[in-house]
Amino acid sequence: MITAAQTAMTPPGTQSKETVDPVYRQIRDLVYKVSGIYKAEEKLYLLADGCGRRMKQVNARSPRDYWDHLTAHPSRDGELRQLLNEITIGETYLFRSPPQLDALRKVILPELVAEKTKQITKRLRIWSAGCSTGEEPYTLAMNLLEESDRLLKGWTIEILATDLNDRSVETAKAGIYGDYALRSTTDYFKRKYFSAVDQKKLEVRPEVKKLITFSRLNLQDDAKMLFMKGMDLIFCCNVLIYFDGPSKSKVISHFFSDLNFGGYFFLGTSESLVKLNEQFHLVHFPGTIAYWKPSLTSGKL
Amino acid sequence: MNEAVIATIRERVQRIEAMPAIPAVFLPLLKLLGNSSEDIPVEQVVQLVSYDNSIAAQCMRVASSPLFGLASSPKSIKSAVISLGLRRVETILLTCCLGQAFPAKKWALDPTVFWRHSMGCALVCRKFSEKLGHGVDSEKAYMAGLLHDIGFMVNCMSFSDEFEVAMKRALQEEISLDAAELATMGFTHCDTGRALAEKWNLAKELVEVIAHHHGVEDSQSDQSLVALVHLGDLLCRMRGLGYGYYERQRVDLISDPAWAVLLAAQPELGDMDLVRFTFELDEAVEEIHAVVSAVLGPTPART
Repeated sequence: MITAAQTAMTPPGTQSKETVDPVYRQIRDLVYKVSGIYKAEEKLYLLADGCGRRMKQVNARSPRDYWDHLTAHPSRDGELRQLLNEITIGETYLFRSPPQLDALRKVILPELVAEKTKQITKRLRIWSAGCSTGEEPYTLAMNLLEESDRLLKGWTIEILATDLNDRSVETAKAGIYGDYALRSTTDYFKRKYFSAVDQKKLEVRPEVKKLITFSRLNLQDDAKMLFMKGMDLIFCCNVLIYFDGPSKSKVISHFFSDLNFGGYFFLGTSESLVKLNEQFHLVHFPGTIAYWKPSLTSGKL
Repeated sequence: MNEAVIATIRERVQRIEAMPAIPAVFLPLLKLLGNSSEDIPVEQVVQLVSYDNSIAAQCMRVASSPLFGLASSPKSIKSAVISLGLRRVETILLTCCLGQAFPAKKWALDPTVFWRHSMGCALVCRKFSEKLGHGVDSEKAYMAGLLHDIGFMVNCMSFSDEFEVAMKRALQEEISLDAAELATMGFTHCDTGRALAEKWNLAKELVEVIAHHHGVEDSQSDQSLVALVHLGDLLCRMRGLGYGYYERQRVDLISDPAWAVLLAAQPELGDMDLVRFTFELDEAVEEIHAVVSAVLGPTPART
């Protein structure tokens, strides 16, 4: 008799991916453990591509050999950083994560507005920490402007956008983007919030720019981090992946104290805190997760 | 809920018998597959399914679909089990059976969306229970996940006008379906599902899950299983396997009373990496869409 135990099987839907060398699953798990970035089964090929490019650079002969580079060589920490660079490259574009924007507009804003109206505060403070060349804060600003005649009528919106890299901050301030960065921006948003610079590039309009203050900030500068108070939302995508455990933990503690009660902290869409902070509540919205600092009235702190 | 409503539900559920027949193999099959996680008698399953030509044929058609990437099409249920593994064939069989019992006519709730949710919940519940060790049998968890929402099928067939109003309200206000049902009909799919489950003489724990997956605290027995399905259901709805529309809600699984129920019975739950579990669920979404399309045919989804 055949039994269920004898017909135990591989997870469904993996036939076409069975050709992926199992070492890549080990690398996927290592990347997750160190950085919190998770490459799902159907995206393993992207990880394999990234590894392939690095393997050429370091002359690794096989995925197994490259695994040794990541775990046993003296330069392993540096190599892991290079690999993280490879697999997160090209992830900065406008409207990158629609589920985060839906959660913001459909669930979080109505909740924050209701909560703050009770306190007679009509001000929202949002921080894009590690804003790179500005795609994220501009996306947030445009989405909030969409609500300015409805939910946020009469509200003051402040978006603080910081990055470690001076050049990125300058590019962000200019707010000029080409096709690649605009590939997920709909015509509606392009027409309403951009003006043409030339045939290939669009510039963010002044009414969007004026909501945002750009500045250089090192997230590991404790003295400065202490002054970032009163935030309602913090977005920090694909930045903490480069930090070691203790530094990451410290930055997250800063984020927690910088947030108002009832505020939210978002990471990148495939990124996790991996239990680095027990004070935040992990919460799900359709298609996305976030970390919530419970409100004083929720009794969940 | 008053006696009159309960009587109406029972009376309409009784009438389901006159509707397209539930395949005779379904209930015995459910019993065999739910038996024990280790020793499901595959020979008996194969024999049982062979009695129903249309189910066997449909199962073979699905098993031959490119999704499963077999080099050659299986010639029998047994060869399908050997090539694909019992679990996958089991999913195909049960979905075929239920698909035949409740044909995809003009439903207020798109059957494709409904089956994706049910299958998704079944897989999540099985995976969840596997992570938790031996507290909840993973096959029972799978069945419970697959069947937890059968009340929606009753609603679609026996309360179609009333349920359509509830569905419209849920879509318009982007609220949960059970809240919309309660607001417009005064009862939910948990009540109609329970009546059907009792009529079908489903196992006691399945009746508990069907009746109480939206109110774990009301369950009288098998609370761990009910809590597991409640959490699996919520997670599916948050990861693209819901009812085909946006539900405006924040779900805090760890603060949910069901989490506490499960944690008390299964302390391993405290060590679980819920984010990674969520990402792993996403990996199954594509597969679920494909299996459901293969079973039901390419029906366009609502969203």
